[in-house]
Amino acid sequence: MEKDEEQDIRLDTAPDSDLEDDELIQDWSQAAQLSIRSSTLPKRGEKDYEPDGTNVQELLLYRARKAMFDTLSNSARGSVVKNLVKAYYDPHEHKALVLRPKGNFLHTLGKMHRDGTVWLEFHEFVYLAERGSITPFYKMDGIDWINQELPLTIEDLYMLFKSQEELDTFFVFEHLKRLGFIVMPTNNSLDSFFEPKVGKNSGQALSNTWNLLPEWRKTIHNTIFYSPWKFWLNRYTSNPQIYQSLNQLIPSYRAPRTEEELRRTRFGSMTKKPSAFPISLNVWKPRTDFKKKSPGIPDFQVVIYNKNDPNQHFPTYHELQEIFQYLDYKFEFLSEIDDKWDWDDHSYHDGKLRSQTVANVKSKNAGVAADSKKSQKVKPKRKPKPKSPRVQQKIRLKNGFRSFLLAVMDDGMISFIKISETDFGSENVWYVPQLTTKKPTL
Amino acid sequence: MGKRKPSSARYKYPLPIHPIELPPLIPHNPISWVYWTYCYFSSVNGLTNKIHVEFFNDKYVHIVVKDDSQMNYLWENGFFGTGQLSRSEPTWKNRTHNRLADSDGHGNALEKVTQHRRLLRLEFKKQREKMEQELLELRRKGGTIEQEKELLEQQRKSLRVYKSQQSSAEVLPHEETIRDIDLLLFTDDGKIRQLESLELMPVEAMFLTFALPVLDITAKDLTRRLVGIPEKYEDIHQFISQYVVYHHYRSHGWCARSGVKFGCDYLLYQRGPPLEHAEFCVRILNSNDIKDYNWYSSLARVVAGANKTYVLCYVESLRSPETILRWWHQGNYKSIFSSYKVGEITYKRWIPGKNRE
Repeated sequence: MEKDEEQDIRLDTAPDSDLEDDELIQDWSQAAQLSIRSSTLPKRGEKDYEPDGTNVQELLLYRARKAMFDTLSNSARGSVVKNLVKAYYDPHEHKALVLRPKGNFLHTLGKMHRDGTVWLEFHEFVYLAERGSITPFYKMDGIDWINQELPLTIEDLYMLFKSQEELDTFFVFEHLKRLGFIVMPTNNSLDSFFEPKVGKNSGQALSNTWNLLPEWRKTIHNTIFYSPWKFWLNRYTSNPQIYQSLNQLIPSYRAPRTEEELRRTRFGSMTKKPSAFPISLNVWKPRTDFKKKSPGIPDFQVVIYNKNDPNQHFPTYHELQEIFQYLDYKFEFLSEIDDKWDWDDHSYHDGKLRSQTVANVKSKNAGVAADSKKSQKVKPKRKPKPKSPRVQQKIRLKNGFRSFLLAVMDDGMISFIKISETDFGSENVWYVPQLTTKKPTL
Repeated sequence: MGKRKPSSARYKYPLPIHPIELPPLIPHNPISWVYWTYCYFSSVNGLTNKIHVEFFNDKYVHIVVKDDSQMNYLWENGFFGTGQLSRSEPTWKNRTHNRLADSDGHGNALEKVTQHRRLLRLEFKKQREKMEQELLELRRKGGTIEQEKELLEQQRKSLRVYKSQQSSAEVLPHEETIRDIDLLLFTDDGKIRQLESLELMPVEAMFLTFALPVLDITAKDLTRRLVGIPEKYEDIHQFISQYVVYHHYRSHGWCARSGVKFGCDYLLYQRGPPLEHAEFCVRILNSNDIKDYNWYSSLARVVAGANKTYVLCYVESLRSPETILRWWHQGNYKSIFSSYKVGEITYKRWIPGKNRE
């Protein structure tokens, strides 16, 4: 009964049903089967709409709760002393030092030094301490901090955050990290979609003078079209002609949609002062071949906005535009239309084209076998089914072009919004009847 | 009246101004050139009979079209206006005709389809309630969970069957007979009176006078009826930004209609309401507007629930308010509207679990 209802709702609200999978409550009866006293416990039962006077619901609840407690009380907990990793917080650096680093987390976190130690950023330090992957200590001046250890509690760690912004960034970092994403701060990232410092502002100035010409043409056109004599001066033989005359009136912002346009708009903006909405985090989808030294450009970029901070506000249009101009990630609208697109050919690492620097390392480490395997894997996924121009247009309008994630903080609740630039002004959707008659269109 | 043209023929033209029809031009036949030239110069795009509009009220002006054929013309050529007694297309007279005069109407007016669907849904819910009662009965008797599961499975199956039967069996809503009160609807010669008229949104009326000369008034008269003679820029700002956005979408081929039922300013149809669902909801904002976060999120939730894309359309003024106001007094609408620039973003909830790949 419940399911039927659920399906009905799902049909009505397809995009929202995304949420359901995420928010499923943990089913302890599954975990209970792994514990020692594994008996067959019922799955999560049917849920009723309202109390019906019987104790069926209570019984189900009791069983589920019992499953949870049985599991928790019978599992072995604690950590092995040998695997303990100690990290020392350095108040001057606002970072933490790990003298003997080991563990899986090193794939995506921390910065390795030549002497074999690892420095953790503060948010990485807190995250790992909360997870129990490291044990936090304080590195105090003037004492032998390695032998006279000063352990820190989780509460202490939270007191060491320097600002609300830092704390918010940490929450978003931690949230995405727990969900399996690879997250890094945007500062000192060496990878970029944009080639460093080649274009100058002269290109911008040139395009400005170019733009003036069509402006004049438009003005003259509009003067004629919006005069009472327009139909005496001009005759329209098709609907597109009428539309084209209409759409000269309202100017609109154009979203850059090609690689060249992206690079051009980028350079016009970079001289400005730092934005009020800095891009704080780079996010990669979970993947196994991640290299923190050369991660490539991220899949998403995150801007954080605290809804309850009176000094912050939802970005205005110009602030949004500014954020768009600072974006530097895998602009998915470029790779989606091109099957052969390889991001290594279109991004730079430390000023050099990635395909030139990274490819060498790759072939040395992984060998050719892994590469060919990967390409085989990818192929069946992406079916080279050409989409009709109509459908492609819809996708362009719906998904937009440059986009970023706005993480909205509300007292520890994080909601993500994807904001993308879209451009209705460059797309015409008027209906062109597909007539087979050979009418001359001029 | 009962006969309906297929929608492709009925909604052939997307705008009330039609392109001129020209005969085929045959390159090796000079007579066809002459005829073609004659046709070219003899025909005109404009309407010979402009559509008559009336105004009601003073403070909140209603702009209405009363003539039957003109109402239909505006609806069929670009879906302008809303029937006051209908959902959108002015179908009241037809529906009444079907109800009173002949019962062979197939009930394919949109309103009737919806009514029918709602009835079916109600029946289904009743059925479901009955089954819930059965379950409760079992519980009261102290049935085990296993028994309950069995019953649930059984009920689910029978409900599914019921639903499929329901959709296949066409249960027409019961026919109504003529009531006394219905007699008032007839004229002396036994025809049904037209009580409905087509109401235009102010921006629609502006589009149909300023951009396309379709209505029998001038843009200046229209704006005078709408806002009087404005003293401050604030009096006209809202109308201007609404019109700018409306014109922007209309001119790129969209059919823009009021989005008030989805909490937004416009709904965008690629062709028109009878032909497909709207896919975009547009909300107008000034380029420097700052709203509370809840304003954005609540609207996004409504729009996503209706399976549409949420577009925030920002309007930026390129001229000073004084210039705009001066132009308004001069009736220079062309310059006014072209000194606003629009930019759009889409706003979507992003769910981490669905983007992990």
